[in-house]
Amino acid sequence: MLSDLLFRLRSLLRRRAVEADLDDELRFHRERQLEKYLRSGLTRDEAIRRVRLDFGGLEQVKEECRDARGVRPLEVLVQDMRYAVRTLRKSPGFTAVALFTLALGIGANTAIFSVVYGVLLHPLPFRDPSSLIVLNETTPRVGTVSVSYPNFLDWRAQSRIIPEMAAVYGLSFNLAGTSRPENIHGLAVSPSFFSVTGARPVLGRIFNASEEKAGTAPVLLLSYRLWQSHFGADPNMLGRVVTLDTRAFTVVGVLPSDFRWTEQADVIEPVGVWATGNSSAAERSERGDMVVLGRLAPGATLGQARAEMEGIAARLSRAYPADNDQFGVTLQTLRDAFAGDIRPAILVLLGAVIFVLLVACANVSNLFLMRGAGRTKETALRIAIGAGRGRIIVQLLAESFVVAFFGALGGLALAAAGINAITRLMPMDSLGGAEVSLNPAVLLFSAATMVASMFFFGIAPALHSAKTNLSSDLRQGGRSFSAGEGQNRWRTTLATTEVSLALILLVGAGLMVKSLYLLLSVNPGFQPERVLKMELSLRTAQYEKDPAILNFWRQLLDRVRALPGVESAALGTAIPLTDDHWRTDITVEGMPLPEPGSFPHPDVHIASPAYVSTLGLRLLEGRAFTDTDTETAPRVALINALVAKRLFPGTGPVGKRFHLGPPSPGKAPKWLTIVGVVADTRLYGLANPSRLEIYLPYTQAVSGGMTLLVKSGVEPAAITSTIRAAVDSLDRDQPIYRVATMKQVVEASVSTRRITLILLCLFGALALLLAAIGIYGVISYSVAQRTREIGIRVALGAQRSDVMRLVLSQGARIAGAGVAAGTLASLALTRLMSKLLFSVSTADPPTFAAVAIGLAGIAMFACYIPARRTLRVDPLVALREE
Amino acid sequence: MPRIDLPQGTLDLLILRTLALEPQHGWGISERVQQMSSDVLQIQQGSLYPALHRLERRGWIKARWGISDNNRRAKYYELTKTGRLQLAAEQDTWLRLTAAVAQVLGTS
Repeated sequence: MLSDLLFRLRSLLRRRAVEADLDDELRFHRERQLEKYLRSGLTRDEAIRRVRLDFGGLEQVKEECRDARGVRPLEVLVQDMRYAVRTLRKSPGFTAVALFTLALGIGANTAIFSVVYGVLLHPLPFRDPSSLIVLNETTPRVGTVSVSYPNFLDWRAQSRIIPEMAAVYGLSFNLAGTSRPENIHGLAVSPSFFSVTGARPVLGRIFNASEEKAGTAPVLLLSYRLWQSHFGADPNMLGRVVTLDTRAFTVVGVLPSDFRWTEQADVIEPVGVWATGNSSAAERSERGDMVVLGRLAPGATLGQARAEMEGIAARLSRAYPADNDQFGVTLQTLRDAFAGDIRPAILVLLGAVIFVLLVACANVSNLFLMRGAGRTKETALRIAIGAGRGRIIVQLLAESFVVAFFGALGGLALAAAGINAITRLMPMDSLGGAEVSLNPAVLLFSAATMVASMFFFGIAPALHSAKTNLSSDLRQGGRSFSAGEGQNRWRTTLATTEVSLALILLVGAGLMVKSLYLLLSVNPGFQPERVLKMELSLRTAQYEKDPAILNFWRQLLDRVRALPGVESAALGTAIPLTDDHWRTDITVEGMPLPEPGSFPHPDVHIASPAYVSTLGLRLLEGRAFTDTDTETAPRVALINALVAKRLFPGTGPVGKRFHLGPPSPGKAPKWLTIVGVVADTRLYGLANPSRLEIYLPYTQAVSGGMTLLVKSGVEPAAITSTIRAAVDSLDRDQPIYRVATMKQVVEASVSTRRITLILLCLFGALALLLAAIGIYGVISYSVAQRTREIGIRVALGAQRSDVMRLVLSQGARIAGAGVAAGTLASLALTRLMSKLLFSVSTADPPTFAAVAIGLAGIAMFACYIPARRTLRVDPLVALREE
Repeated sequence: MPRIDLPQGTLDLLILRTLALEPQHGWGISERVQQMSSDVLQIQQGSLYPALHRLERRGWIKARWGISDNNRRAKYYELTKTGRLQLAAEQDTWLRLTAAVAQVLGTS
């Protein structure tokens, strides 16, 4: 089989040599035969005649030999390709438009598919990743929350459907000992993490079971990236000591380069190291930043696991009502945990680019049909001299292939640029660390797109061309006016489809525009202008005691306030629209005690006095914190408007008291007196409703990790470096990190929506342009076709305006049908993007109306340009032309 | 004796059989067949060459250029190993076929 293929290939590639050989071989035969006849005494003429007679037609024999060598089909194909390239080069205008249109369509598809592949399809770097699941706890008051470590231990002991589980804790560390102090991210994991995932280090060992228990020696795995960037890929890394938060860790391994987790992981420590000296590990009520990774038993489904886990959670809820009341469990695949909330956006965009490709194909198909009509005579002639209709179709498909192939090449170039832009616009953490690139899988997709579009735009024109009526076509002399009725109907259908596809895309884009506009006009509850934020975390040994921490914060505020250009500086712990949250139960003085799981559960802010003014929170009642609210002063708190409304309805909350946590019998509660009420903020994103919030003074609730807010008239980069100098003057080992203006924080919170919107608008505009070109093409072609008819009408006395109306009404039918079909399809399809919309209905009438009217207007304008040409038709010329 | 046109499918067999003796060029093959069959069989010269190329593609014979007895460049064909096996198989089939046909004819 293989040798057969090689033989054919050789015959094909070395065609000239093979042909020459054949000539020589046959000539040799005829000469020998001639000699033989001459020897037998025939005259020369007679001998030559006999040789010819014996041999038969020389060309025919050659042809049969070529057939026997099995290269004919290939040869014909190569010929067709060559011919296609030649004819395409002869009509550069047509070719350029077709190539460009296809390049746009295929390029957009390739770029978006690379994101789809990277985020949703590329296998996660774990063994059998499809059976890996992520578990969280849930509570009706908040939704999905982290898991408490003792609950995890119970889950693991009781579940049969998820026989293997591992706790994964998200952590931050100060990495010292490098050029600048730095904040890095890490995980604390159960040793079973490695047996669950199958992940193996490239260097060193994984954790052993004994490292699950508190008190184990501090050991560490480094990420490949950190090993490369901070330790020069030292091959003797094992055994080296790395200092995190002034604690000395021994490096026992390096993770592989393709290892990734749902959040950034620069280092991994065993959970036993994390639990050492960490009392919260044993507390069932503590829910830090932990998820549980599990592997389903072979053959088990997510549904079975969910059913079992819900039973276990219900039992735990009954067994520990104080800590687990109303807590349930939620399961998702690891893939979903990685993709996060970006999945709907990606899928909507994938749908959009497929539509763009369809519009592009419809356009190119129309171009081919128009060209085919102009080549009717050529085709008729070919058929007349013996070309089969199959051959004609194959030959036209070869042209389609050439166009699709070079279109795809152009598309790849566009995609490379597009991928670059997308990865820069999309926040990388929202992509879950996925690699988005032109990898082999993506290229395969592009190739498939190319072949699909080739058939999509090539088949109809090819079939139409082969349907030539020989005698009439030859007689008519191949004017471009001889396209049949069926072809015109098909062209009209294509243009109508383009209009409706463009409408769907524009409606989608319109809904996104309106959503984002509404979202950005939501009052976030604070004023982001001119405010810079940066985080600090005092984790080193000298800050073990509260006074030391407080001392650092006080001095920091003093020094930063004194910097030139700074209007105010403040510290806070839960900056709106960022991810840091701490919530706790509260007990209001005198309230009827609820069930354990139903206590008011506000978000807690720890804030310095200037926090309210720096962030521009509106003070509704009472006062903000002042410098007199010291650690020894009476304990005070601020509440937000929602707390005032829910917990103190109808009464002035100022002066009322509450304490943190549920009542603890036998202990005197530490009451906090409410001194003021501030407006609600959009803590969890502009699209999410406000929640209960309370504020505690930073002097009375000391936190080692805070965010510094600085309001100034100075340019952010400049002020950042002066602030860094101020921090350095206090403590050289303190990194500042996650520096951003509050404007950027607001932008980042809508970035996925924004990029989706930008791309949808781009695709919509593209589809609109292509549809306009499509409808323009159909009308101008039809005007050209009807020149004679128009000439006759005018000669018989028709008004020019009547004639123009005739042409325009054809365009209006296309636009009308397209808009109607598109509107119906949009009503069904926009429902798929409901997750991306904000306070806009998927059938928002103003958006639909605006898009429909706008699109119809543009379509009619595209008709008007060629229609005007009818005004210039001179009846004499038109009639003579025929 | 009058000449007989070759029945379908026997051309390949004759070519393989001829080449089993020694490598030969196309004209030589047609001469040899005629000679060996005492002039009864004559190969249609027009169909000889397509058959040779087909056999070459199947890998039963292979070609190389050599010098003929009258000192000219000629394309010689020779049997390959698979060609030899094929010849044996086809020869066997043919003999059984002719024997069977003869038997049927003989019984009438």
